[in-house]
Amino acid sequence: MSARGTTPARRRPVTLHDLVLLAVLAVVFGFLYWALVQVWGWMQVAMGPLGDLAQNVLVGGWMVVAPLALYIVRKPGSGIVVEIVASIVEVVFLASPVGPMLILVGLIQGAGAEVAFTATRYRRYGWWVFVASGITAALANLALGMVRFGWMGQDFFALRVGFQLASGIILCGLLAKVIGDALLRTGVLDNYAIGRAARETERSGGSSPADRSTASGTTVSGTPGTPGTSGTSETT
Amino acid sequence: MSTPAFGRPLPVDSLLHRRDPTVKVLVVLVVCLAITAVVDPVTPAALYLLAWPAAVLAGRIPPATLLRAHVPFVAFALSLLMVNAATRDGETIARLLAVDISAEGLTIGAGLAMRTLLIGIVSVTFVLTTDGARLMTSLHQHLRLSGRFAYAVLAGYRLLEQLPETWSTIRSAQAARDPRRRLQHPGHAPSARPKALAQAAFALLVTSLRRGERMSIALETRGLGAGPRTIAAPSDLRWADAVVAFVALGVTAAVLLTSWRLGLLRGLGELGVFG
Repeated sequence: MSARGTTPARRRPVTLHDLVLLAVLAVVFGFLYWALVQVWGWMQVAMGPLGDLAQNVLVGGWMVVAPLALYIVRKPGSGIVVEIVASIVEVVFLASPVGPMLILVGLIQGAGAEVAFTATRYRRYGWWVFVASGITAALANLALGMVRFGWMGQDFFALRVGFQLASGIILCGLLAKVIGDALLRTGVLDNYAIGRAARETERSGGSSPADRSTASGTTVSGTPGTPGTSGTSETT
Repeated sequence: MSTPAFGRPLPVDSLLHRRDPTVKVLVVLVVCLAITAVVDPVTPAALYLLAWPAAVLAGRIPPATLLRAHVPFVAFALSLLMVNAATRDGETIARLLAVDISAEGLTIGAGLAMRTLLIGIVSVTFVLTTDGARLMTSLHQHLRLSGRFAYAVLAGYRLLEQLPETWSTIRSAQAARDPRRRLQHPGHAPSARPKALAQAAFALLVTSLRRGERMSIALETRGLGAGPRTIAAPSDLRWADAVVAFVALGVTAAVLLTSWRLGLLRGLGELGVFG
């Protein structure tokens, strides 16, 4: 996909429209996270003495909504907000075995995933940014686990680190990008920053691969080659 | 899912149902954070036993419902116990299937397991006695939570209530269109292959986003989020709220103090985290 050019007009403040989207994402993913916690519990038992590693394998799945929300809304803080609300949904509405600590976990994981996007000043959304986001999220979670569960003092610490990073990259970073692109193709995100950016790319003759297929009726048929943006339109 | 309605409190009136949600959520937070610093098994076990009568008598949660809600927590607690017993260094007290069980690991594991059960019973009691809409109103009223944020979360909460129904609609649609199923077992459950489940989850996400966008347009047309508004059904603080909070926190403090006096209390330092 294309990284956003350097001409986003003034960044608009978070609107109610964006907030409701964040809340909806948080609710759906809070529900999915909660389901994943149930899977995790039984997986831990099934894996016997190695069961504690299950969370390191699955951890990326609990952070995926942060990069996804950032990808769609593209505003500072949205990754953190959406993770916190998702954890609140889990704790307050669905009763999670992890307890209210989960809200703190959500904050740390959300912040971890958001760092990578902050580093690009919320302007680049190529594959590598999502990979970086998965790594930073996994590292943040790793630090948390060291304090919370004393992972440093346990066996197979190296194995944990490896699983965490792989899980963060695949289940958090890359999965978020895949889901975001798939959602964009359905046309449901046309009125959000991601949809506007895609239209802008198309209008400026950018090569937005397969994103704007015939699915959406609201596509603005742009004139190719319009010198609209001075920004780079790099494809990854 | 043990509760009759998803994300909803039990449809009864009780002492705990009537309490202000903000007060309840703060008490739950304080108790759970305090217990997070404790790793010995006895202290959380004592609190856990005390939580039962509170949930059953003050919250009017039927014991059977409460027990059923324990299932995920028990699995979680069991795994914590096994993992810590097997992976921590210390004096070996037994060998099970070529795995050394250490005394320290067993103690710490039991502590973490009891903590999970305690957090579980407290959270379930909170969820089964608290209405989500009232919680958001109360947070907006007492903790100055931004109105726009509260509306957004409430809109999401409405969606949450519809999620199971939407999910079963999508799954039924899948089953109806699955030719294999139709030929072999008419009326059979929808396909449980990972691909089918992933497709259903994606459809659920798209449906929810569409619905959410419609809701946000409806909210904006009515001018919500544009400025301060009055509250339709305020959740006012009463003396009883203070009493319940005082009793809950007092009991927790008393248990911690007693455990400390008896020399049973062990803190986070035991995990070897900070040293």
